[in-house]
Amino acid sequence: MTRTLRIACSLLVVLALTAPALAQPGSLTLPAYRKVVLKNGLTLLLMEQHEVPMVSFSVFVRAGSVSDPAAREGVASMTAALLRKGSKTRSADQFSAELDFIGGAFGAGASVDSTSASAEFMKKDLAKGLDLLSDALMRPVFPQDEVAKLVAQRVDGIKSAKDRAQGVLSAYFNAYLYGKHPYGRPTGGDESSVASITRDDVVKFYEANYTPGGTVMAVVGDFAAAEMEKQLTDTFAAWPAKTVPAVAVPDAPAVAGRKLLLVDKPDSTQTYFRIGNVGIKRANPDRVLIEIVNTLFGGRFTSMINTELRIKSGLTYGANSGFSEWKAKGPFFIGSYTRNASTEKALDMTLDVLKRLHEKGISEDDLKSAKAYLRGQFPPDIETADQLAGVLSELIFNGLDEREIDTYYARIDAASMADINRVIKQYFPLDNLVFVLVGKGSEIQAIAKKYAPVIDRKSISAVGF
Amino acid sequence: MASLTSRVLVLAAAAALVAAALPASAQGFDVRTHTLKNGMKILVQEDHSIPNVALYIFYRIGSRNERPGITGISHFFEHMMFNGAKKYGPGEFDRSMEANGGSNNAYTSENLTVYQDWFPRSALPLIFDLEADRIQYLSFNPEIVESERGVIASERRSSVDGDNFGILDEQLSAAAFIAHPYQWPVVGWMSDIEAWTLDDLKNHFKMGYSPSNATMVVSGDVTFDEIVALAQKYIEPIPSAAPPPKVMTREPEQLGERRVVVRKFAQLPIVMMAYHVPETEHADYYPLQALQTILFSGQSSRMYKRLVDRDQLALSVSGGSGWSFDPSLFSITAQPKAGVDPAAVEKAVYEELDRIKTDAVTDEELEKAKNILLSGFYRQIKTISGRSNAMGTYEVFFGDFKKLFSAADDFANVTKADVQRVARQYFTANNRTVATLVPDAPAEKK
Repeated sequence: MTRTLRIACSLLVVLALTAPALAQPGSLTLPAYRKVVLKNGLTLLLMEQHEVPMVSFSVFVRAGSVSDPAAREGVASMTAALLRKGSKTRSADQFSAELDFIGGAFGAGASVDSTSASAEFMKKDLAKGLDLLSDALMRPVFPQDEVAKLVAQRVDGIKSAKDRAQGVLSAYFNAYLYGKHPYGRPTGGDESSVASITRDDVVKFYEANYTPGGTVMAVVGDFAAAEMEKQLTDTFAAWPAKTVPAVAVPDAPAVAGRKLLLVDKPDSTQTYFRIGNVGIKRANPDRVLIEIVNTLFGGRFTSMINTELRIKSGLTYGANSGFSEWKAKGPFFIGSYTRNASTEKALDMTLDVLKRLHEKGISEDDLKSAKAYLRGQFPPDIETADQLAGVLSELIFNGLDEREIDTYYARIDAASMADINRVIKQYFPLDNLVFVLVGKGSEIQAIAKKYAPVIDRKSISAVGF
Repeated sequence: MASLTSRVLVLAAAAALVAAALPASAQGFDVRTHTLKNGMKILVQEDHSIPNVALYIFYRIGSRNERPGITGISHFFEHMMFNGAKKYGPGEFDRSMEANGGSNNAYTSENLTVYQDWFPRSALPLIFDLEADRIQYLSFNPEIVESERGVIASERRSSVDGDNFGILDEQLSAAAFIAHPYQWPVVGWMSDIEAWTLDDLKNHFKMGYSPSNATMVVSGDVTFDEIVALAQKYIEPIPSAAPPPKVMTREPEQLGERRVVVRKFAQLPIVMMAYHVPETEHADYYPLQALQTILFSGQSSRMYKRLVDRDQLALSVSGGSGWSFDPSLFSITAQPKAGVDPAAVEKAVYEELDRIKTDAVTDEELEKAKNILLSGFYRQIKTISGRSNAMGTYEVFFGDFKKLFSAADDFANVTKADVQRVARQYFTANNRTVATLVPDAPAEKK
């Protein structure tokens, strides 16, 4: 049992990816790296880090779930999972056997705007590791039996996930918030869309979306950069250039007014809820200011939300808030959970805290504390080679660069109370709010109408989100 | 891992530490030690690569030191350690730490209560002041106790009621142990959560929180001398007390299979199988680790290949044992696919275990397990918090942090015959408890 689930922090994951790197206290710069663009368009980023004899890769491909064809939600996610399941030179079994034999790590998954893959190998096994990684990225063949196996597993996986409210709350929230906008579609698909996915869908998705020109690969670890550049060039120059997919996701408008979705999970002893609206995009110029306010509002243990709902009232084990920074505007949400009988109290309290943020703002002491907290907590986010690879590849993929880190402390320091007040009004919704509650319908439906004129209902056992 | 229960999470985190085996060829990191006059031992590892520090304090007290009626009190106490002492009143521990750039967490297992502070080096004196204040002068405000009771009830509803793996794992342990304290959940039974008293908390503090019952581990941007000086100033004046009473109960030998069924609302069933195995310090620890790696680590592992890939019986399969002071469990968890009888999954698991008993593992599998442990070691020590956790864990469970550096040698000595012997010895029907979660509501039509 832990005192706090690190979820409170993981909600900030996207913000944390903004993660800078460190040096002396007071200054902070991303370690030097080399950027190379191959003739086929592949962007390589190389950074030497010699602390342990390992090499870490982080790859971002412009192959997000927003590119899933209609009624085939989940294709991007399945394609990522199938990269290791057979290539022109290896079967799925061989890939796993060779990867595990060298104690290597490989993972790939899709999010809304990208597919990302990471890999890590001991220095002595680099040649083998590179061969495995390039096999997965450049030469997958998607064997029919592997596709069929994964389809069956994924359909059951969604059912299994729905047995735990906390695991599916965000999928229901995003679907209800965004509706028909691409960000409303479930990244992993639903029971019906996944069941309909064929090998042909996967092959077509790969061919259209996995292109060297749409890919950024960061390599960080125990190597000599010049030598690594040659090795990577030799390996990946063979990836044929293709037209980079045009992916344009428009910003969703904020939801006007209020609406509420109640998802009935009849065995639930607690109500799990999210409240929010459309938030900000990755490139929002106010992102550091927003991070400061969110830290105080719902981003750390002593945040306003956690103080009221957990520390002072004991209503919940945890309450928090966060902004998902996607290419277009991602969701802003406040989330918590409490026993069925205290659902109304917790929801009222959450809305009160939000109101207080708008009416009373934050104090000078709080601002100072948040600044110190963000500064002090940042260096461990860029401590290791795999973290640096992740941060670097994400920045470049999203059109940012090392200045994000090199100016991070300066931007924190420069935040004034006037900035903070503006950001609260501009980015934290007050009256226009979308509510999603997952819980025992028979015990909480009576209070739902208090929060919104529109109430929608679903059963957790029904297909979809 | 998301499907594991909180309780298993602690074990799983510990299992990952197994990977912290340093090969004979690899270099250890430099650790210096000091023991204060009150008995608290301090381990320091200097690393100046980032201006931050990971400070962990391991108290040798957990749910195994409890009794019926106060189950979960160790974990409850862990929460109370953040709720105010003499110099720093309610809420001030967290507020001061965060305002100075630090953050914290803590965890309780069957064996330990561990407090973790992560902070910039500029906050060093503050952290020692905060820790000394609460170790020495923790306050027990009745209103705060009641509020925290609600927090923990909510934690239990999430990790047990709201998580089918959590419910089943709790039932599994409760059936596998009939005598030893490992039978009750770390979070405690709900009726005990509702019933703890102020006196229970005070007694627990007296029992478990003597400095001599703790080990402090510091890794990061510090010097050994400054840590010793700070500890001498802030911690050394705290008087020592008697250690917690020894846990005398030994679990009697299990003489036949036990089976548990949980019926509840669910779309998919779950099956768990647990076998009694010895404590961490036992000589069979490394052979069992090898067996665990061969059975469950990676998509080339025996169980994944058989259950998930080849026969397509299960969505997932995992297993292993955690660190423990007393004989514990080696647990296997599998989630059958929709329409698959849990009995078929169970049967396939037993067949794979039997295959090791009859045919032994291969040289290649043993070599692979070693490589997995080696790379896992590097992953473990690449962060300051990973190092603090690894040093502390080896210190408390093996009695010496240096075991971290000989673990690879210990592991290298494992033979195929050892692996086969432990499979034959422990993975028997009589030594087994099986728990099955059966969906109560008709599953959604396919």
